[in-house]
Amino acid sequence: MSDWEPKIAAFLCNWCSYGAADLAGVSRMQYPANIRIIRIPCTGAMSPNFILQSLRHGVDGVWVSG
Amino acid sequence: MNIDILANSEIESVQGEQGYFEVKVRTKARYIDPQACTGCGECAAHCPISAVDVYNQSMGERRAIYIDYAQAVPLSFAIDQEACIGCGLCEKMCLAGAIKYDDAPQQNTLQVGSITLAVGTRTFDPSGLDFLGYGRFPNVVTSAEFERILSASGPYFGHLMRPLDREEPRKIAWLQCVGSRDTNNCGNAYCSSVCCMYAVKEAVIAKEHAGGDLDCAVFYMDMRTYGKDFERYYDQAREEEGVRFIRSRVHTITEVEESGDLELSFVDDAGRMQSEVFNMVVLSVGLETSPQTLELAEKFGLEVTDNRFCRTSTFAPIATSREGITVCGAFQGPKDIPSSVVDAGAAASAVGEALASARFSETRTKEVVPEKNVQGERPSIGVFVCKCGSNIAGVIDVAGVRDYAAKLPFVDYVTDNLYTCSQNTQEDMAEIIHEKNLNRVIVASCSPKTHEPLFQETLTNAGINKYLFSMVNIRNQDSWVHRNNPDLATEKAKDLVRMAVSNVALKEPLEEPELGIHQSALVIGGGISGMTSALSLARQGHDTHLVEQSSALGGQARFLYKTWKGEDIQSHLQELIAAVQAEPGLQVHLQTSVTQVDGFVGNFTSTLDNGEKEQTVTHGVTVMATGAGELEPAEYGYGQDARIKTALELDRLFQTDDPELKSVNTAVFIQCVGSREPERPYCSRVCCTHSIQNALELKTRNPAMNVYVLHRDIRTYGEKENLYNQARQAGVLFIRYNPEDKPVVQPKDGNLTVTVTDPILGRPLEIQTDLLTLATAIVPKRDEQLANFFKISHNDDGFFAERHAKMGPAEFATDGMFLCGLAHYPKSIDESIAQGKAAAGKAITLLAQEVIHSSGEVARVDPMYCSSCGVCVSICPYSAPSFIEEGRFAGKAQINPSLCKGCGLCAASCRSGAISLRGSDNRQIYAMIEAI
Repeated sequence: MSDWEPKIAAFLCNWCSYGAADLAGVSRMQYPANIRIIRIPCTGAMSPNFILQSLRHGVDGVWVSG
Repeated sequence: MNIDILANSEIESVQGEQGYFEVKVRTKARYIDPQACTGCGECAAHCPISAVDVYNQSMGERRAIYIDYAQAVPLSFAIDQEACIGCGLCEKMCLAGAIKYDDAPQQNTLQVGSITLAVGTRTFDPSGLDFLGYGRFPNVVTSAEFERILSASGPYFGHLMRPLDREEPRKIAWLQCVGSRDTNNCGNAYCSSVCCMYAVKEAVIAKEHAGGDLDCAVFYMDMRTYGKDFERYYDQAREEEGVRFIRSRVHTITEVEESGDLELSFVDDAGRMQSEVFNMVVLSVGLETSPQTLELAEKFGLEVTDNRFCRTSTFAPIATSREGITVCGAFQGPKDIPSSVVDAGAAASAVGEALASARFSETRTKEVVPEKNVQGERPSIGVFVCKCGSNIAGVIDVAGVRDYAAKLPFVDYVTDNLYTCSQNTQEDMAEIIHEKNLNRVIVASCSPKTHEPLFQETLTNAGINKYLFSMVNIRNQDSWVHRNNPDLATEKAKDLVRMAVSNVALKEPLEEPELGIHQSALVIGGGISGMTSALSLARQGHDTHLVEQSSALGGQARFLYKTWKGEDIQSHLQELIAAVQAEPGLQVHLQTSVTQVDGFVGNFTSTLDNGEKEQTVTHGVTVMATGAGELEPAEYGYGQDARIKTALELDRLFQTDDPELKSVNTAVFIQCVGSREPERPYCSRVCCTHSIQNALELKTRNPAMNVYVLHRDIRTYGEKENLYNQARQAGVLFIRYNPEDKPVVQPKDGNLTVTVTDPILGRPLEIQTDLLTLATAIVPKRDEQLANFFKISHNDDGFFAERHAKMGPAEFATDGMFLCGLAHYPKSIDESIAQGKAAAGKAITLLAQEVIHSSGEVARVDPMYCSSCGVCVSICPYSAPSFIEEGRFAGKAQINPSLCKGCGLCAASCRSGAISLRGSDNRQIYAMIEAI
């Protein structure tokens, strides 16, 4: 189990957090490669179903930011 | 498309006149071809030479080949010739071949009809003020430096530290009015307008960054939070965030040995000498015009004020002394972002008015490629993986990702490119789409935030609907952030490509609803701002209806006497009214109200009722200029004694040269009557200047008169500070009172007595006065019916809520709706005029399009599923959903695609699952989730 790595689904708002994730890149900040970002038009569009579906499909964590 | 940006350029000379200017522009050598440069940053990563990072206020370093900041436009690097040693490394690294060591300055001659100066300002350099220790004590920084310290892209990555030892400060002091309101040390007598608010903001943000323990203290003379919602922010900072506000001017800063802490010596409000030690000091530096700007002004032949700002008049606030040249922003006068944005809109509209006869004569338009119908076709996906020089390829196995993509379902074509965004790759891409008959495209490269529109345009040029596209971010959110884990980064890139393939396969071509814009305008409110707006619209060729509820044009300006610059208001107002009445295409409706409104952006139908008959007008845009009124005070004995007046009543005495004024030997003004109170927690912005103007008028008429102004803070922002100085020189006495200990007014035995506690003596002072003027609050009208008609909202104070406090001050969040004047917030005449023009300018950018295409990514209701619960109707911030009124689906919801912004709030809130967001519907999101 020692080399197990979680897979995290990240739902990021197009207007803020997604841009922040871009800026983290521009600033060459380093972070673990476990995150799979899904861009959403606004966190207002975030449905609880997205979280449930993610967990159902084997994702270990869900991050919503906006 | 219609804006050419000449960066890195200077004006050499200007000749000619309005309509026919010839401008010589010198573009400095950049040593990089901005067309070829993709902004990838590979060059800077290898440049061995470091230089001072001016963008970060010289607190950090950058390379000799650099880009000013991450969001710079154009996104192109430049070589700092003074730092560069010419080693040639960047030329070797640049795969785009953009380096041009032999670049030379270029000269262009432009033929233009008008010129707008938006040359900005600079912050005051406090090095010369030795008592502050700036430059000697590392922990004394300017506010501009502190902004960079707080910024995530700043020298400390947003971590709050002090420069000396990179320690986190526990106590920070802000010193206001450094380089402002100071004739002794720097000659800048004016108020810089922005520093009080930014200091409060910096203190609050510093507390956010540091957690609750940080002690922030602001040393000030008058707290000038006069903007919209600013007073609330100040109250919150003081009451809830615990920022300390100390009314004192610090006279000396000394450094505490070893610790680098700073000891501040000052006299407190009670007159006692105090000293306090802080870990760090921020100097709230003012704004000033640079010598380069003054040189430019001379080249243009423009007049400047004594304070070195561009000279303008109250009634033409953006017109310079030379016809055809307008000015906006902080060269017009020190100002904040919203005022600068308003100025910019005003300048654009003024230019539009001046060049109305040449309108559309040099407009560039795009050629339209007919779109191929791919509906019902099996998805055929092309995947283009970008190397971005070595930005992506240096970390991620691009060929591996490409080959992986080739095996995914529906993928019929894969390739990799050195720079997918380059002009020739774009042309190749369009060719490939055509040749391979692709109907879906994926680009795995940088960020959709910067490049999606570019690739979508390529699709459009290839005849494919631009919504059949998906972008995978494998640079900003992959190769750049997982540099040390190439394997994991490659795996992530493959995952992201797989998710995008699942997503794009489900995408459908989306229509962009076309909407014709009716070319006429309705302006509601015939005050100064409404008239200005209407006139501007009409002069630019749009039929305009100006509706005024009362029987005369002029609004509140009818009651005012003089501007703070001494200009007569009534004569200028009459000129404006005459211009409005003479303007063809501008129809004035007096004693008229709007009784019914239908429609939305581009197609409003309003019913106007003047009591005798109803008239229906169709208009594409609406400007709200409904104004505000004067508070009728319920305190200080108003109404009990004829000698107690409001500010407007005093103006009337001046206007009519009332003999009553002759018998006045003592006059008192009380400020903040009804403003900055718990029930009205905003500053009415204009009253300090107004009272001081009137105090001076009284002094001019009778220099022996005793004039007192009782105030809480004097808020004569900008160059209006001159007036405050003049008033003090003329002997007007200013006495500050506390809101807990307000002045007491007693009309008795024929005398009128005002008692106020003098803050210096600490004792009550009795003034027997012949005239008491109350500087009453400006109160909003709050017309709920109009707000409902046009689907616009008010803020907590009852003023209209603009689209964005900073970037959208003259427009509503609802499309096609614009605002100006007192209905937005209290403001002076020049500010009302600027906003009136800005609202017109903004409206015209919409009208000029004639036909608009709204986004295809909008919400749609399936009426079969809709349960008519109304959640979408009440939740939408843009008023896009409504109930269908008749027919088979009456009572069900529908969404107006022209108003929908595609946020998806309704889709997520719909209990029946009837709403889907086109282009990003649940099926597509689920497909991505399943493919993770």
